[in-house]
Amino acid sequence: MSAVTACTWGAGSNETEELLTLARKLSSDGGGEFVWAVVGPADAAALQETAGKHGVTRIDRIESAALESYGADAYVEALAAYCEQREPSKLLFSQTFDARTVAPRLAGRTNTPVVMNALDLASGDEGRLLVTASAFGGDTRAVYRVAGDRAIVCVMANAVAAEPAGTATTPAIERVDVTPAGDERVRVVEAARTEGPRLEDAQVIVAGGRGLGDAANFALVQQLAEALGGMAAASRPIVDDGWTDAAKQIGLTGKIVRPALYIAAGISGASQHMAGCAAAKTIVAINRDPDAAIFRYARYGIVGDCVELLPELTKQVGR
Amino acid sequence: MPSIRIVVCAKEVPDPDAVNSYAVAGRLEIGDDGKTLTQTAIPRLMNAYDEQAIEAALRLRDAGAECRIDVVTAGRDAASLLRHAAALGADEIAAIDVDASAIDYHVAARLLAAYIETTGGADLVLCGRQASDDDQGVVPALIGERLGMPLITVARDVQLADGSAVRVTRVTPDGDEVVEAACPAVVTVSSELGPPRYPTARQTMAARKKQATVLSPGELGVGDEEMAPRVELVRQFVPEIHGNCEMVTGETAVEQAANLIAAFRESGVLS
Repeated sequence: MSAVTACTWGAGSNETEELLTLARKLSSDGGGEFVWAVVGPADAAALQETAGKHGVTRIDRIESAALESYGADAYVEALAAYCEQREPSKLLFSQTFDARTVAPRLAGRTNTPVVMNALDLASGDEGRLLVTASAFGGDTRAVYRVAGDRAIVCVMANAVAAEPAGTATTPAIERVDVTPAGDERVRVVEAARTEGPRLEDAQVIVAGGRGLGDAANFALVQQLAEALGGMAAASRPIVDDGWTDAAKQIGLTGKIVRPALYIAAGISGASQHMAGCAAAKTIVAINRDPDAAIFRYARYGIVGDCVELLPELTKQVGR
Repeated sequence: MPSIRIVVCAKEVPDPDAVNSYAVAGRLEIGDDGKTLTQTAIPRLMNAYDEQAIEAALRLRDAGAECRIDVVTAGRDAASLLRHAAALGADEIAAIDVDASAIDYHVAARLLAAYIETTGGADLVLCGRQASDDDQGVVPALIGERLGMPLITVARDVQLADGSAVRVTRVTPDGDEVVEAACPAVVTVSSELGPPRYPTARQTMAARKKQATVLSPGELGVGDEEMAPRVELVRQFVPEIHGNCEMVTGETAVEQAANLIAAFRESGVLS
């Protein structure tokens, strides 16, 4: 029997409920049984609750000692074994940093077509999968048709709004036996530092771009972020120029965020950047160019010099 | 130190800055076929991340690695891309003779892997993290799986340790991570590597004389049955943005800031 299978590491991330929403839509669009495959440890009760709310019919637990923490080789090997046993027809991942490695590698390992950057999924003629994906840095949308029954798809954050199923289910939990070797060919010599709050969780973000004029002015972005109790971020050009570190980059090749308030200072609004922040509830744009693309996405706009406006906003917010 | 072979995979793409300029101006259009950009004025050039992959290879050579650097692309009409690669310092430039618009990235990866395998293998395969046209970024992973090589993505720095292992600084969402793997390996390079060098006029002149190796899929042992695309572009469109921007005005920055904060308070954005 064909199945639409959403796959997450443990209980997943912020995007899990979006992924389940999209998987349910595809499954009711003639895609088959709706399964959630969970790799590695996760709290069973919490899984069952989320799965039930989203109408999942079955949870497949893929567990083994080698899967307790992320390792690309072990995850690919385990998922390849899972695919062989359960033959999911459509295997969907949230496009997290690690999924960007695992999904295409799994596609290569299992000889399955793969599409990344997906924003929407549908069943086309003869049940063939249609994937709408972001292309050209977000400037266009490409619609791909996938030959055959099987496909692996990575879904971008904020592709759809999470929505519970009309009818809740009580999904069965099944254990899937896999025994990945657990020897990683890529060895971590120095781990990334994971301290501090994450931009993905921030409610207020102030982001700076080239309009700041020079590197020293990035401090103005940080000061306003601090005054608002939020976090500072950046567009790709100023990260490439070394004005701030890559961990602060918002966009298609950086972080995808959804704060309540996103203040874009001196950012032109290239699609590449907007792909990372378009889901913010309120976007404020400050730009000297009244024709800047950013104003098309913004709720509030100010035509002006962010180098003058940022300190003024910091001062007045503090009052 | 024994000599090693580095293969860099490169792709030609429409200039992303030109595409973006059209998009920002609201003038990006799709042609009558419903899937191709119409702007003929958009120049084609080497994908910037691929250029940085070549740069990573050249830096290894600069650092003293005894290496041969070969650059390969899957597609015809790649003369200018390959000349640029030769001018930068590629030892061999190679094109796989296929219509790039008639294959998908699975076929491209199959062909590139076949090139690597049938021309003596590689100690290091360097690719850009993704191409700026489709943004898919899956070819390096598919090559790695095909050749049984480990994959290291989004490198900002690539070093060789005695020619038998590669040490890579990766740009992760949590900051830089340093990893190591035994060669052969596939590494994808990101923009954080820094700008690639320009060839000198003398290098550019000399590159004109360099002959590209042209190989057909058949010569690489890839049969017709493996040439059928499984992921097919059927439509492309420019997304619509529904703007409802309220412009906040004021005579001075002080006034603009005050009016913005007032608008925040009124709409409940800030309490």
